Amino acid sequence: MAQIHVIQRDGSKRTIEAPEGEPLMEALRDENTGVEGTCGGTCSCGTCHVYVAGTWQDKTGARSDEEDMMLEALEEYVELRPGSRLACRIEVSNALDGLELEIAPPVE
Amino acid sequence: MSVIDLKLLQETKTLERCPFPIPAGWFFVDYSKNLAPGEVRNVFLLDQEWVLFRGEGEDGKAGLTDPFCPHLGAHLGHGGKVVGDNIRCTFHHWQFNPEGWCKDVPYAKIMPPVCKKQPILRTLPVIEKWGMIWCWYHPQAEAPQWELPSIPELESDDYIEPRTGHWEVNTAVQEVAENGVDFAHLKFLHGEPEIPPATTEFKGHEIFTDMKNGYIKGHQCGPGLAIFRFDHEGVVATMVSYSVPYTREQTKMNMSFTHFKYPEGTKEAMVAQHLVNHMVGEADGEESAGFESVDFIVWNNKKYRPNPLLCDGDGPILQYRKWFKQFYPGNEDNPNL
Repeated sequence: MAQIHVIQRDGSKRTIEAPEGEPLMEALRDENTGVEGTCGGTCSCGTCHVYVAGTWQDKTGARSDEEDMMLEALEEYVELRPGSRLACRIEVSNALDGLELEIAPPVE
Repeated sequence: MSVIDLKLLQETKTLERCPFPIPAGWFFVDYSKNLAPGEVRNVFLLDQEWVLFRGEGEDGKAGLTDPFCPHLGAHLGHGGKVVGDNIRCTFHHWQFNPEGWCKDVPYAKIMPPVCKKQPILRTLPVIEKWGMIWCWYHPQAEAPQWELPSIPELESDDYIEPRTGHWEVNTAVQEVAENGVDFAHLKFLHGEPEIPPATTEFKGHEIFTDMKNGYIKGHQCGPGLAIFRFDHEGVVATMVSYSVPYTREQTKMNMSFTHFKYPEGTKEAMVAQHLVNHMVGEADGEESAGFESVDFIVWNNKKYRPNPLLCDGDGPILQYRKWFKQFYPGNEDNPNL
């Protein structure tokens, strides 16, 4: 289990436990942090958008092309930041223990 | 070098009637006039069900799509409606154009990005030509690899309105067309006075045959189209054959027969009419028979021998089979074909 420090949309802070080897999106969704993950991890809904804290961005790796396309589509509706990621594209690992992130606003 | 395998020759229980996949190529779907603007219809061909539809308006484009919506799998041909150029799924009103691009998801704030990148519904490339709807089928969904040819007889008003005929045969399309190069059977099955002298040229996706020094010229164009021109002292009648696999073991044979508009009552008009009758097999006073009366008994009951025992005098059967293999991509090393 990796500990993930989450800033939720109302500004409240929580720490959740995320199983290693699984997409981060699933832990965030199952813990009711506001992440929906509607499409199940195919980069087609944009409901698992998070902002990864600056110090952690190297460890969460690079964005894939599919992820970039979804983020570009989101740009019209929500703010993108350098740490913008789709949590479905981040696999939880030991190296991410202590990860800090913020749940991005929903598309409205 | 290969030797005759007597055991294989005699043991026929393991032989298949139709070991062939559905071949790649252009295939006839229906006549254009049978698909009204705004119509949606389920059709079965190429061993699966498809949804055939036409966009609204006079020049509405025809589309042929896989039945199941890429969203949640509803059948587009049960409750689906045409909206403009698109087919709209009844379940959540996602819309798709004839090329398979998703054009509308009415409730999504953001369309899934893949929808802007590529078609997400499998559709077959469709063109309309000669008053017919044609589709391109490829097992790996690759784009058309050749174009349909020009057939002046179906493109000009100088020819009579074609007579059409349709037959169902219980075998694969490769087996049906093989008779086009099996010149010996024309004597024994059809009762021609002799095995006609013939030449055959295999060229890319085409075959050109010439029987009896120009009496019958054949042009096979892929697995789904063949044109035969019968020339009797300068009077030419044309048979256009467009078979489509229904299942792997059933083929729908479709044909159009036409000839130049010779003035009524002239000898030429009568000769042309007689030639057409001869092609179908209903000509009076004929000693040899057209395909309708004799070929079916063979097609409907035979088995396919991948390693046949051939003799001198047989036509270029093996060259034909090698030629046909190009339409089974992915089966280059299949020993049963």
